Amino acid sequence: MAQLTYLEAIRQGIWEEMERDPTVFCLGEDIGIYGGAFKVTDGFIDRFGAERVIDTPIAESAIVGAAFGASLTGMRPVAEFQFMDFIPCAMNQISNMVAKTHYLWGAPAPLVLRGPSGGYVHGGPFHSQNPEMWFVHNPGLKVICPATPYDAKGLIKAAIRDNNPCIFFEHKYLYRRIKGEVPAEDYVVPIGKANIVREGHDLSIITYAAMVHSALEAAETLSNDGIDVEILDLRTVSPLDRDAIAATVHKTNKVIILHEHSRTGGLAGEIAAIINEEAFDALDGPIVRITGLDSAVPFSPPQEEFFLPKVNEIVAEARKLKAY
Amino acid sequence: MAIKKKSGNKASSNGHKPASKASTNGNRNSSLRQYEIPDYRLEHPNFSVHQVRNGDEVRYEVTGDLDTPVPPIRDSKYLDKKQCIEIYRYMLLNRRMETVLENLYKQGKVVGGVYFGLGQEACSCASAYALDKDDWFAPMIRNQGSLLVRGFRASDTMMQYMAKAGSPTKGRDGTSHFGDIEKRNMVSPISMLGDLIPVMSGVALGARLQGRDVAVLTYIGDGGQSTGVTYEGINFAAVQNLGLVLIVESNEWAYSTPSEMQFKCTDLAERAIGYGIPGIIVDGTDACQVYDATREAVERAHRGEGATMIEAKMMRMKGHAIHDAATYVPKPLFDFWKRRDPIARFENYLVREKKWLSAKENADLIAEVEKIIEAEREIAVNSPMPTPESALGGVYCEDGCHAIKPKYGMPKVRKGSGSFKQTEAAVHLK
Repeated sequence: MAQLTYLEAIRQGIWEEMERDPTVFCLGEDIGIYGGAFKVTDGFIDRFGAERVIDTPIAESAIVGAAFGASLTGMRPVAEFQFMDFIPCAMNQISNMVAKTHYLWGAPAPLVLRGPSGGYVHGGPFHSQNPEMWFVHNPGLKVICPATPYDAKGLIKAAIRDNNPCIFFEHKYLYRRIKGEVPAEDYVVPIGKANIVREGHDLSIITYAAMVHSALEAAETLSNDGIDVEILDLRTVSPLDRDAIAATVHKTNKVIILHEHSRTGGLAGEIAAIINEEAFDALDGPIVRITGLDSAVPFSPPQEEFFLPKVNEIVAEARKLKAY
Repeated sequence: MAIKKKSGNKASSNGHKPASKASTNGNRNSSLRQYEIPDYRLEHPNFSVHQVRNGDEVRYEVTGDLDTPVPPIRDSKYLDKKQCIEIYRYMLLNRRMETVLENLYKQGKVVGGVYFGLGQEACSCASAYALDKDDWFAPMIRNQGSLLVRGFRASDTMMQYMAKAGSPTKGRDGTSHFGDIEKRNMVSPISMLGDLIPVMSGVALGARLQGRDVAVLTYIGDGGQSTGVTYEGINFAAVQNLGLVLIVESNEWAYSTPSEMQFKCTDLAERAIGYGIPGIIVDGTDACQVYDATREAVERAHRGEGATMIEAKMMRMKGHAIHDAATYVPKPLFDFWKRRDPIARFENYLVREKKWLSAKENADLIAEVEKIIEAEREIAVNSPMPTPESALGGVYCEDGCHAIKPKYGMPKVRKGSGSFKQTEAAVHLK
């Protein structure tokens, strides 16, 4: 199997879907000849032509609106946000138009909105955000946040083939930093299914995206202390895999929920509520949250590091929880 | 930049880029550019609305020439007798349906408010009538007449207002908020203004990828055009050369705000110049003008020549919705436009000027429309309310719920020889 970076895996996934299905096309800012700000669509225009790799004006509402309109004619558009920080520019299209359309008037909207999110790259307050929760709170959307090259490719392909609007968050810290095995043959990873990336029996860390790698690093340190950590990678944050969340809590009885976005109103609160509903009797300790701070993501590296969850923080919280 | 507005009876043909040419008339400023906005109207009302303080009260006042004679209907370049009568019939259905809706509201049978297109029936009906079967449209709240033209029944809209189980959205939304991508090619509006413009542009883009240039008609008001997404959507259609047909319904009032407080340019059609697309002005109370301009724009779209903006001048003859008595509107303004009632003008044209309808035929037609709407009313009233549990389901398109397939045929793919190569080029943030 080939070792691919996270970014190459996404590129390959979109490329293969465009080869496979003539109704798939891409639109976004600077995605054509330039190949996108992160080069996810590099070389696509030469292969698929300007008709299917469309450079748009800097107009996020128009990009989402046009993608939706095209989807109504049976196309499968893949729209790129240069940074997911810019996705609120199209919030009305996403929340009021696209998300509600199937429930209200029965029109499917098979489109993908994708782009880079996340911190750890000193991108500053407008190039580092993790805005997935705004969409988790919008019934009708599917929200996908892969952590590995294998999942990234399998999930982008699943998103393109899905009949619902999918928002696909690509963690920009992972783009070229991690490599993983990606099979050459066609495969998809099912949307809405979490994955145990490390088995353990002392406590569970429920997380996704870049934080999976922080959790794995922390787990290595903790294993030296004899603490055996299970890590559940959610992969999809809407719809959440309630069964997998309940199962890991039933297994380890102690849980840390780890995410990069701000604490208040964050995903940890929702997962804690699910645990309360599905596995309350299984808990042997308080549900612990490790999250970003309740502020904008600051620019300067010492400040950004302070804002974001850190491996030593995960280790310390895990030790405390184990001892509880 | 100067804007030269053409006026008078000589109508410029629609469908051309606004003339952009250096002045050669000896003007000292030899780089002066001139643009043309074709204007189909047979009158050019000259009045304006101002906010004035009168003692302790601030109110709106209209000043200008409000006693001008009502112009004739402009003969259509395209419509024949039968088509004119058909449009007139749709306008009658539109108005009668809204009268019945008003009565249903007064009887407490409507959930929420009722929105009217009174005074705008020519614009809604004649524009939708200019579309071909494969074209798409998306109405705004006052375009309930467009729905009738495109084959929806009056009972569909009535059941929407009454939140009935039989309504197109099965009770999930009201008013004209429904759609049909299978047969009638209608995209459902949402309450926010301007968002349909990029969506309809996307419909045209999708169709073009499948080898078809379709016209995509939608509407925006003088108020709604203030939104940012309106700009984004028109600009997207313009640069992509998509067949957007945008009717700007200049109806003087956006809820309680007069157009004088909404925009500074003289006519909204002038904005077409900035988008680089043709703009045209029509009398929105003249069905023939609305049809001709829309038809020309539709044909441009079919030829793949891109978007057109049509400004239809008229007046919203009721409040924003049924709760709003529109007391802020100066009465002389209502009087001026009441004399330009689109149905009364078209009736006069068909019965007395053209003599295409006898008085008896006209009376029979009106009676037939009333009978149809009464039957539709019965259907709507007799539809049950939805069960509470019917709120569940349908949030997602599940397996087997819809088959996604290209509407106009599988896109023809033209592939270059490029192959998949790994990329390590310079990127924005490493």
